[in-house]
Amino acid sequence: MALHSASQSHAAQEPADTFPSGEWVHEELLAGDPGEPCLLMGASSPVTRGDLARRVDEQQHLLEANGLRPGGTVALQLPPSVEYVATLLAAWRAGAQASLLDHRLVRREVDNALERLAPQVVVTARSASAAPMAGYAQAVAQATARAAGRPAATQHVLIQLSSGSTGPSKIIARTAADLIGELGRYELLDQYPKRGERVVLLASMVHVLGLVGGLLHCLHAGVRLAFPERLTAEGIRDAVAAGAEPTMVLGVPFHAELLTAGGGPLPQLSRMVVAGELIRPWLPGAFTDRYKVPLGTMYGMTELGVIATDLDGRTHPALAPAPGMSLRVADGELLVKMPASPYIGLIDDTRWADGWLRTRDAAVIDEATGLVTIMGRLDSQISVGGLKVDLTEVEQTLSALQEVDSAVVTYGGVIEAYLVLRAGSSVSDVESALADQLAPYKRPRDLQVLETMPRTATGKISRDRAVLRAAAGAAPTVGQ
Amino acid sequence: MTTAGREPPTRAEVIAVLAALGDRAAEDVTERIGSLELAWLVSQVEERYDTTLELTDESVLQMATVSGAVATLGELLAGAGDG
Repeated sequence: MALHSASQSHAAQEPADTFPSGEWVHEELLAGDPGEPCLLMGASSPVTRGDLARRVDEQQHLLEANGLRPGGTVALQLPPSVEYVATLLAAWRAGAQASLLDHRLVRREVDNALERLAPQVVVTARSASAAPMAGYAQAVAQATARAAGRPAATQHVLIQLSSGSTGPSKIIARTAADLIGELGRYELLDQYPKRGERVVLLASMVHVLGLVGGLLHCLHAGVRLAFPERLTAEGIRDAVAAGAEPTMVLGVPFHAELLTAGGGPLPQLSRMVVAGELIRPWLPGAFTDRYKVPLGTMYGMTELGVIATDLDGRTHPALAPAPGMSLRVADGELLVKMPASPYIGLIDDTRWADGWLRTRDAAVIDEATGLVTIMGRLDSQISVGGLKVDLTEVEQTLSALQEVDSAVVTYGGVIEAYLVLRAGSSVSDVESALADQLAPYKRPRDLQVLETMPRTATGKISRDRAVLRAAAGAAPTVGQ
Repeated sequence: MTTAGREPPTRAEVIAVLAALGDRAAEDVTERIGSLELAWLVSQVEERYDTTLELTDESVLQMATVSGAVATLGELLAGAGDG
């Protein structure tokens, strides 16, 4: 692996002295009939485009009162809410670079992120309330200026952190032009929702699918964006049934499984589209049997947004490259053409080089049709309900706990940890310590204590689940 | 909506519902229930009992384990039946 500094490298890392103005926010996202509803959150009154524009004004004043200036930096850690949407758009319209942090991250993860990103302003929820299992929250934002913050070093407007597969997570950055380009790709997809239609969003607005494919597309294209009162099968169906418009449900495969277990045709439902991880082979057929509409799939990455789609479920599991996307496979790995590196800071040649982004996904491209089939990950990243988790991060965090002598983390439907504890420590000690270190979705669901780590013939710690489970012996499981 | 006189799910039934998510064997179901599993469990119970569970923050917290879910579903469904 060759690591070298950004300043020695690529065009994407141009200095921010020409940081783009925030005019694009109005032109691409806020323009349109101010009386037109744009955000529908449960039974609350719809938020119109005019309402949203006023909220954006308010949040922009809040940010600027905390010292945010064009070319400045702000980090957002807010639950899904109108406040989140307004603050993000306000940051961009103020001409600033916005970093998005998942609201489920724990303090240590947030502190680490802030240390690396050095935002000048941090926005968190002063108060947030949500009904149990709600798909959205009522939040009031508070902004805090950070003396140690630094202005934007590049022209990117959006910063997201990857789940780091080796070492620290990567800082993934996108420009306004890149985001607008992705919105253009969605616009060219015939089956993707158009003006006057509606999207019920189940995916997180902090991550690329829900952010660009959901929120930004809907604002850009004049599509109403709805959030369910409850993230249960009945709650999602109620959200679909709440309006008369043709409606697409956008989520991750788990949500499609949730809906496929019950219910029946809904006249408004035009299709469901899922992304974020591979779906199980039976799911599209079962979904269509029940709802009489297609289950489409998309493939994308934080670095690029949407890359390939099968919105009608006609070519499943193969996907057609999205408009303008060039793909190739090298040594079994999918590569996507990308003019500049999406990473800020250290550049990793094993992830982007010579105009191609290495996806770390195994894939096959049909030379005759150009369709691509994603086969699975080539590294230790897994997906929990569409949220990316790197098992290496979980294992390193566990291993660093004072209660733990050694740890191996594997995945078998859920995240599993096999531990050798230090004398006097218990599993509940480990669980307590981990709660301060990792967001809930990253924590192992199954913790097995071993006397010693099983080793291979060459003396390496075994990562074979069967061997580890055997070593755990008759460890208690609730099904027995 | 009522539970139509049906008994609340037993521990074995709750485990069977959880195991169906991800096509797992019952012995692969962990005592801890994650947020996705909880959404699945609530959805399945609502479907089978033809009811909408009156969830509170406290009941959601209690359903973070299989044992807690069995007890809480018993209480919630008994309440629905009374109503």
